[in-house]
Amino acid sequence: MRVPFVDLKAQYHAIQPAIDAAIASVIKDTAFIKGKYVKAFEQAFAEAYGVAHCLGVGNGTDAIYIALKALGIGAGDEVITVANSWISTSETITQAGATPVFVDIDPDTYTIDAGQITAKISPRTKAVIPVHLYGQPAEIDQIAAICRAQGLHLIEDCAQAHFVTYGGRRVGTFGDIATFSFYPGKNLGAYGDAGAIITQNEELAARMRMFANHGALKKHQHQIEGINSRLDGLQAAILSAKLPHIHDWNRQRYEHARRYNQLLAGVEGVEIPVIRREHEHIFHLYVIRSGRREALRAFLAEQGIETAVHYPTALPLLPAYHYLGVSRDDIPVAAAYQDQILSLPMFPELSREQQDYVVEKIRSFMGAS
Amino acid sequence: MKVPFVDLKAQYQSIRNEILPQLEAVCENTSFVLGPFVKKFEEDFARFVGVKHALGVSNGTAADQLAIQSLIRPGDEVITTPNTFFATTEAITAAGGKIVFADIEADSYNIDPEKVAAAITPRTKMIVPIHLYGQPADMDPILEIARKHRLYVVEDSAQAHGAQYKGRTAGSMGDAAAFSFYPGKNLGAYGEAGAVTTNSEAVAEFVGLYRDHGSRIKYEHEIEGHNMRMEGFQGAVLAVKLKHLPAWTDGRRRAAAVYNELFRDVPGVITPKEMPYSRHVYHLYVIRVKDREGLSAYLNEMGIGNGYHYKYPLHLQKAYAHMGFREGDFPVTEKVMKEIISLPMFPELQDEQIEYVVNAVNKFVSK
Repeated sequence: MRVPFVDLKAQYHAIQPAIDAAIASVIKDTAFIKGKYVKAFEQAFAEAYGVAHCLGVGNGTDAIYIALKALGIGAGDEVITVANSWISTSETITQAGATPVFVDIDPDTYTIDAGQITAKISPRTKAVIPVHLYGQPAEIDQIAAICRAQGLHLIEDCAQAHFVTYGGRRVGTFGDIATFSFYPGKNLGAYGDAGAIITQNEELAARMRMFANHGALKKHQHQIEGINSRLDGLQAAILSAKLPHIHDWNRQRYEHARRYNQLLAGVEGVEIPVIRREHEHIFHLYVIRSGRREALRAFLAEQGIETAVHYPTALPLLPAYHYLGVSRDDIPVAAAYQDQILSLPMFPELSREQQDYVVEKIRSFMGAS
Repeated sequence: MKVPFVDLKAQYQSIRNEILPQLEAVCENTSFVLGPFVKKFEEDFARFVGVKHALGVSNGTAADQLAIQSLIRPGDEVITTPNTFFATTEAITAAGGKIVFADIEADSYNIDPEKVAAAITPRTKMIVPIHLYGQPADMDPILEIARKHRLYVVEDSAQAHGAQYKGRTAGSMGDAAAFSFYPGKNLGAYGEAGAVTTNSEAVAEFVGLYRDHGSRIKYEHEIEGHNMRMEGFQGAVLAVKLKHLPAWTDGRRRAAAVYNELFRDVPGVITPKEMPYSRHVYHLYVIRVKDREGLSAYLNEMGIGNGYHYKYPLHLQKAYAHMGFREGDFPVTEKVMKEIISLPMFPELQDEQIEYVVNAVNKFVSK
């Protein structure tokens, strides 16, 4: 049997008429840039989140960069973020001219260790960017309280956390700004690069819109230098077609994760992800830990099972950040976990047979050696 | 009669049967970001331009930035013109460069090589000529200056797909070139897209790394980069459209010739001049008149699309107020930019439409 890591084709076939129709209408209207399809998605997404403003942008990386620039973060500033994330979270901090300050992860949730944030705050700290990693909320209540008390901006990186709640409230609504990625494999994924930013703050929304559109509110009148970061009409129409399904897809992912957890509970040498009773988890990724990760991964690959690692090197330990001088001892949890974490196949259309097969192979690997 | 400024629908109707199956193929292959459809286009486009490498990126601004950033160091001075779209200079700053303006020639509207020579300082590292409206800049003297002063040249070819300078294709003459495939461009995507072309391995390597988070192998980041990748849809659309580009260019050149012919007897209208060294591809058909604001309003009334490319010189934009420029610093640009107006231009433009436009202009200017 072959079990892919994600199966975008299965989803496409399930909703093909809606997708094909969406594409055909954008082309027929030649509404490729800005236009009504982008507007419709921005409105639908803002409404779904219950926020005042949504801005479609080119991708999730741009979303963070635009948010940082709108908050006036630049040279000499520090931004606190988490040691285990995709590089977009920190490269955009550098790009804005600021310096990333990394905090280790919580050993249970693998998200930023909220208890260590305060110690990292300096007079130059301007913002905190927690990442709701793998689809699990960070301790956003506590983080928001720290930001309020210290007068720091809070940007929630929701690239992997579409429509997940923390204590009943949607993450993405706790901070000043939340950023989203709709990279194809995401819980809500476009058919190309796409991203969005949400905020309740009208002034921030206007500033971000201007920055993402070459620094111009009115055509030909450039107030500031900006960038070109737009959500394509095609992607907006596809996202609008997919949006009504997101809660079903999230629920299916969650069910698969619960089943993985049940089947893998008690398997020696495998650490399963924690599901907290009071907070949701929408399992963009289903990540286990194993002390023999590389061997397990190779074995599963031989059995036709695709896996991935998110991420193999904690951000501060990447060559790109050697200049910061962060050592493994500064981030012991992330440094240890980077060699143990393994993401198993996870997508809404994952079948019971596929899941059983994955579990069986993990069990046999663990038992046999 | 209504004459739109551009008519993307007319073009789509003519290639509909080729485009839709390609888009469905992208979905079937789920090759949404970079991937085989982008690669195919990159190969075709490199051949078309006559260079070793073409790299698909997310838009023309990103292409400008990456082409420039691949060659300069922070603080280096980069010479360009104040008569261009804002993206060119935005990209210079984003790449870490310092913008230095040189004025344009009054007949080609492109960068004036003599003004370039005068703007060179010990910190100058690059010249970015823009092949504006579809007509190549006078590249030989520019390349000569660059050789003499050891400067890089990045051709901003956002408006010049397939344009030629003494038989050489725009985008093949400098160290690198940046293209935009914004939908209305001569070669336009169905969304945002751009490309960098180059013969340099080093430039190609940098652009390839930086556009995908500084990573050659997934999750191994050698440098910090950004996400500036071309989408699979756009690669597929562009590969289909590239085959038609020569015919579309002929259509634009034919329309320009008809305009020129009809405007010959209209006093008070300066038509575009095709320089002896160039094969203009007329991304835009730009005329000059005394009262362009009045003409624009009149054309709008008559249902005729029009635009300004561009409305204000870059050195006088608010974003550059800190540079301390004043009116009078670049007199040719300033004079030309008060008079220019762009008329409808696309390959499918009909003779009756052109006549209608010219009659309207004539009526206005002879009032």
